[in-house]
Amino acid sequence: MATVTCRDFQGRFESSDDSPRNDSPDLSIQAHLRDCPSCRNFIEDLGKIRAVGAQLAASDPEPPARIWFSLRAELEKEGLIRDTPSKSPSKSWVGELFSGRFSVLPRPVLAGGYLAALLAIAFGLSGPINSRINRKRWLDGNQSSMEPLSAQLMSAEKASFSSPPASETPVTASLHQNLEIVDNYISLCENSVREEPENELAREYLYEAYQQKADLLAQLNER
Amino acid sequence: MARVRRIETPGELPEAEAIRLAQAGNAAAFERLYRLHNRRVYSLCLRMVGNTAEAEDLTQEAFLQLFRKIATFRGESAFSTWLHRLAVNVVLMRLRKKSATESSLDEMTEPDEESGGPRRDFGMPDLRLSGSIDRVNLQRAVDQLPPGYKAVFVLHDVQGYEHNEIAEIMDCSIGNSKSQLHKARMRLRELLHESLRDKAREDRKAAGNAGGED
Repeated sequence: MATVTCRDFQGRFESSDDSPRNDSPDLSIQAHLRDCPSCRNFIEDLGKIRAVGAQLAASDPEPPARIWFSLRAELEKEGLIRDTPSKSPSKSWVGELFSGRFSVLPRPVLAGGYLAALLAIAFGLSGPINSRINRKRWLDGNQSSMEPLSAQLMSAEKASFSSPPASETPVTASLHQNLEIVDNYISLCENSVREEPENELAREYLYEAYQQKADLLAQLNER
Repeated sequence: MARVRRIETPGELPEAEAIRLAQAGNAAAFERLYRLHNRRVYSLCLRMVGNTAEAEDLTQEAFLQLFRKIATFRGESAFSTWLHRLAVNVVLMRLRKKSATESSLDEMTEPDEESGGPRRDFGMPDLRLSGSIDRVNLQRAVDQLPPGYKAVFVLHDVQGYEHNEIAEIMDCSIGNSKSQLHKARMRLRELLHESLRDKAREDRKAAGNAGGED
């Protein structure tokens, strides 16, 4: 039986097999493993790296919604989306989003609660926005009830930009760009809510858009 | 390791149908394709660059390139393989632009020892890693891998792609994919050993300081 060195042993895994095993049927390998604690550790370590690597997928984060908003806007800009426009321009794709098949979306109260919590974190519990939000009333309310929230976000935005601007990094430039996209989305959603004030899903989408904006403003504030 | 595939629930547009509709410029189809694959692409980008803002940007860029070319998709390869190929290229191009010198894909997957290739210290005394590897310190080590190794490791060990798929994504041979993965794991092992040694050194120092104070 040929003697296997550590170099031979570890080199075998490079191109022939991607999963080192300590139960190899090769007798020379078995003999080497029996006598070589270093190669036994090698196999154990590589197995562990592989196992923990597989666990990393479980902690994969959810991509933020703003990626789609931004992508969608770019697809429209480049004319890649060629849907037939509906009678009301504001109902073209937003209207589609608000159709009944999206009934699995979170309940309005949950969406509202999430927004309130996010705004509270973003601007501080004693800040001007949270103290004036009544999400339940907003979600159940009439057409004009979106205005206070919109106005509060606007004043938060003004406050964000009132301080002298620091030098713009690529990240802040990208945040500003996203803010612009979310603003466009908000205005589309607001139109839909105006047209269909009773549509709960339309209001939820608007709420989500406000949440996106609050998130972006909070990120800008941090910088 | 079996890759987790997203299960389509009744009423959701099947991928093939979404591709056909997206080729005709249907907005809902674009969104469907995005929702089917965004998590894996974002995760790949994030693990490759380690920065959320940049990962978002790269994810958007990968999908944008995909949708620009979707009319040419003829189904010769799996849609997700095609998308991942675009995503990997977008990420590697960005990393290449960031590096001061132009480097080829070969250099990104075959670094020399100084730039991060695994060293071979046969017969060196071994510290045992088992038990000291967790997700946090493995991710920290993955962050330090050269881009080519990192891509193969993330695609195979994290995302569960097979070597034949990785060969297609990375535009290399299956043997090359296996070899890169092995080298990536070897380098990770080395990095984890280094961090273990650093920690042991710090602990000794702390113990020494504490002893000196007594």
